[in-house]
Amino acid sequence: MSPIPVHLAVEDDLSELVIRRLLLDTGRDYSVGGVFGRGGFGYLKSRARNWNAAAAAGKSILLLTDLDHHPCPPGLIEEWLDAEPHTNLIFRVAVREVESWLLADRDGLADFLGIGVAVMPSQPDQIPDPKQSLVNLARRSRRRTLRESIVPRDGSTAVQGPDYNGCLGDFVRGHWNRNAALGGSPSLEGAWSRLMVFEPTWAA
Amino acid sequence: MPQLLKHPEAFKGPGLSDDPFGKNFLELVARTPETKRRSRLKAIEEALQLAVPQLINLSDVKDETGVPHLEATYTHWRPGAGRQREDQFSDGTLRLIGLFWTLLDGDAPLLLEEPELSLHTAIVKKLPSLFYRMQRKRKRQIFVSTHSWEMLQDKGIGGEEVVMLEPNNEGTIATVASKNSDIRKLLSSGLSIAEVALPRTAPPNLEQLSLNLE
Repeated sequence: MSPIPVHLAVEDDLSELVIRRLLLDTGRDYSVGGVFGRGGFGYLKSRARNWNAAAAAGKSILLLTDLDHHPCPPGLIEEWLDAEPHTNLIFRVAVREVESWLLADRDGLADFLGIGVAVMPSQPDQIPDPKQSLVNLARRSRRRTLRESIVPRDGSTAVQGPDYNGCLGDFVRGHWNRNAALGGSPSLEGAWSRLMVFEPTWAA
Repeated sequence: MPQLLKHPEAFKGPGLSDDPFGKNFLELVARTPETKRRSRLKAIEEALQLAVPQLINLSDVKDETGVPHLEATYTHWRPGAGRQREDQFSDGTLRLIGLFWTLLDGDAPLLLEEPELSLHTAIVKKLPSLFYRMQRKRKRQIFVSTHSWEMLQDKGIGGEEVVMLEPNNEGTIATVASKNSDIRKLLSSGLSIAEVALPRTAPPNLEQLSLNLE
């Protein structure tokens, strides 16, 4: 089987880690070229049409963004592209943030954080602010290092702790049970299904 | 400063007390007791894996005149190419080695002036969490001065940790970023220090710069 070259376009480091883990888990020979973005959704939105054009020119591109406060993924994709996504562009939207894909592994994340599984949300795609939920769950953690790394200090204006990406990166790489997560998050399941069957088409 | 290590012959003289620019860094490493020195260089080599994955076996040696050096092997060189010394390391590699050593050295308050210099922006982005991880066990206070957008876009940095230095015609005003209610609200909405505070520290009337040079 020949490698499937793909460029990534992501909002942040955590999204990139999740996508890389998914690509690896497919067992298909994905080969990651460039990584665009990691500077928030504004940049992704401003470049989405360029990537769709690049996809039409024969480049395969995987774009992952958070839905955030947008009403629905199809509406976001239409607004960003103003056209149908080319078949070489895998445009996936995490509902509402990529953190919901981590929350979807209820047992795994509860175990990693050292909290009871009963407090884990059962339908993370329905949560309005998954990142805040994850931070609040970490607040309950019995593991001080994790708690202090993920949760901002009392009274801080920061929305996350000082080593949020580092800690959750460790979780994604070493603890995240992707199979369990697939059953808990329809937006993750949709992204996974596409990655399992994606075949780029080459420009003539 | 990497140049001080690469070209020591160009910077002769007594140097400054406390050696703020690392002129005597190699002597400092050589003077450190062996066990501590080895374990620190090992820890630095591991941390460097992120940035310079082909560099292995970082160690210190003395040349025939007794002058200390750092040496490492670059795995992508042909076998038997020999080890490289500090004058062949990149500026960024030397800066990271000096930065990591300093972070591991002692528990006194530490002042880092623009640690982003010579480093790739992808590494600069990771510096705040790296500083946090390295001081977590020691509870060491670290002061960092920076203009780096990449470093300040880390959303784990709170406005209460940041002192903005805003130049104006009278001088420079120092303000804790979170004391400003505008900034506080913007940060709490999920924007970063880079977006909210950094632009305020730019010199006033900068847009006239190109005109003045004509």
